[in-house]
Amino acid sequence: MDYRKIIDNVSVLKREGLSTKLIDVILLSKNDDKMPSQLANTILQQWQQDTLLTESGLTALLEAAVLLEPVKTVEALTALELADIAGQINEATVKT
Amino acid sequence: MVKFGIEFVPRDPYWKIIYYAIQAERGGFSNLWITDHFNNRNVYVTLTTAAIYTNKITFGPGVTNPYMVNPVITAQAVATLNEMAPGRVVLGMGAGDKTTLESVGVEMQKPLAAIQEAVGIFRKITSGESVAYQGEVFKTAGAKFLFKPKGVIPVYVGAQGPKMLELAGKIGDGVLINASHPKDVEYAVGSVKEGIRQSGKSPDQVDVAAYTSFSVHEDLKKATKAAVPVVAFIAAGSPPVLLERHGIDVQKTEEIKAALKVNDWGKAFASVTPEMIGAFSVCGTPDLCIERINELLKSGISQFVVGSPIGPNVREAINLISEKIIPRFKS
Repeated sequence: MDYRKIIDNVSVLKREGLSTKLIDVILLSKNDDKMPSQLANTILQQWQQDTLLTESGLTALLEAAVLLEPVKTVEALTALELADIAGQINEATVKT
Repeated sequence: MVKFGIEFVPRDPYWKIIYYAIQAERGGFSNLWITDHFNNRNVYVTLTTAAIYTNKITFGPGVTNPYMVNPVITAQAVATLNEMAPGRVVLGMGAGDKTTLESVGVEMQKPLAAIQEAVGIFRKITSGESVAYQGEVFKTAGAKFLFKPKGVIPVYVGAQGPKMLELAGKIGDGVLINASHPKDVEYAVGSVKEGIRQSGKSPDQVDVAAYTSFSVHEDLKKATKAAVPVVAFIAAGSPPVLLERHGIDVQKTEEIKAALKVNDWGKAFASVTPEMIGAFSVCGTPDLCIERINELLKSGISQFVVGSPIGPNVREAINLISEKIIPRFKS
C-alpha cells in the first residue's frame, strides 16, 4: 500500500485530527510486537523534530497504525470522515 | 518551586516510553524516572534512548537496587549515561522488592548497610577514584574505571521505612518517598529531616520527592477506574500499620491479596474501596489533583512524581498535567 500517496490526499485541515487519532491507535495498541523498530525510530525522530504533522510524519503514523491495529485505524479514519481512505485501507488489510 | 517528575515502567516498549518522555519534557516536567525490574525491559537501554531523544529533562533509574546489580556496574552504566547527557543524569537507588529478589534467589541482606555502602562505592568510583572497601555487604579491592567519569551525579535514595528514610536524608542528594497521601508523606518527611539534621546539610540541599500513584482525567470516574488496579496491588502489599493509619479494613485487603494470588482480577479490583483510592493514589480531575498536590507540598516535598497509571490515556493525561496542573505551580 502506498501510504504516502494516501496521506497526500488528506486535506491540510484534517491532518492534526488524523495525527492525534493515529497516535492514540498506536500508543493504546496491545500489539507492540508488530511495530518494526525502524518505523518506531522514524516516528520518534519525527516527534522529536515536531514534524509528525508533515506528510512524512503522517505517512509513518498511518503505516504503524495499520500494522498494529487495522480495524481501529479504519474506524478512526471513518470517524474523521475520511471514508475514501478508510475504504482503501479496509480493502487492502481488513478484508484480506 | 516544586518540580514535576514522571515515572515509566519499561514493561512498555521503548518507543512508547520515549514518545511520552519527549511529550513530558515539552510539557514542563523536569525529571524522568524509569523503574528497574528484571522482568521488564532493561532500564539502561530505555534511559539511553531517552538520552538520545530528549534535550533537557533530568533522568535516571527510579530506582535500581544494589542486590541484582553490583554497585560498580550501576556506576559504570550511570557514568556512561552522564557522558551522553552531561548534567542530566541522576541515580535512584533503593533496597528493592523482597519478593522480586527472592524470585531470582537473591537475598535482601542488611538493606540499610547495603544502601549506605552502595551509595558510597558509587560516589567514589564515579569520582574517578580507586575503591578499596570492606563493608558488611560489599567488598571491593581497588576497583577503578579505565575511563574518566564526568561530573558529579546526584544520588536519590528510595525509602519507605523510618530507618531507611532517615538514612536517605543523611546520605542522599534526594529522597524518593513511595507515598501518595499527605499523612504518609508528612510522616516520611519527618524521618528524612532527622537524617538531614544528622548530616549537617541544609534541608534545601536535599530534593524530597513524593513518588505517587497518579491518575488524571476530566471525568472523575475514568480517572478512578484507571487507578484501581495499581491501588489494589499497593493495598495488598501494605503493612497493617499503614492500613490502620488510613482507617482501611485489614480484612478487605486480605481479600484483595487472596484474589490477586489466584489472578482473580475482577474480584481483586472490585474489593478496592474509595478509602484505598484516597490513601494510595492521587486521583481525579485536574482540580482535585491540584488540591492534593498542594496538600503534599505542605508536607515538605520539593518534587512531585507522577507514577503509574498516570491516567486512562497516558498521552491525554500528560497533556492535562502540562496544560492544567503544572502551570498552577509555576506562578
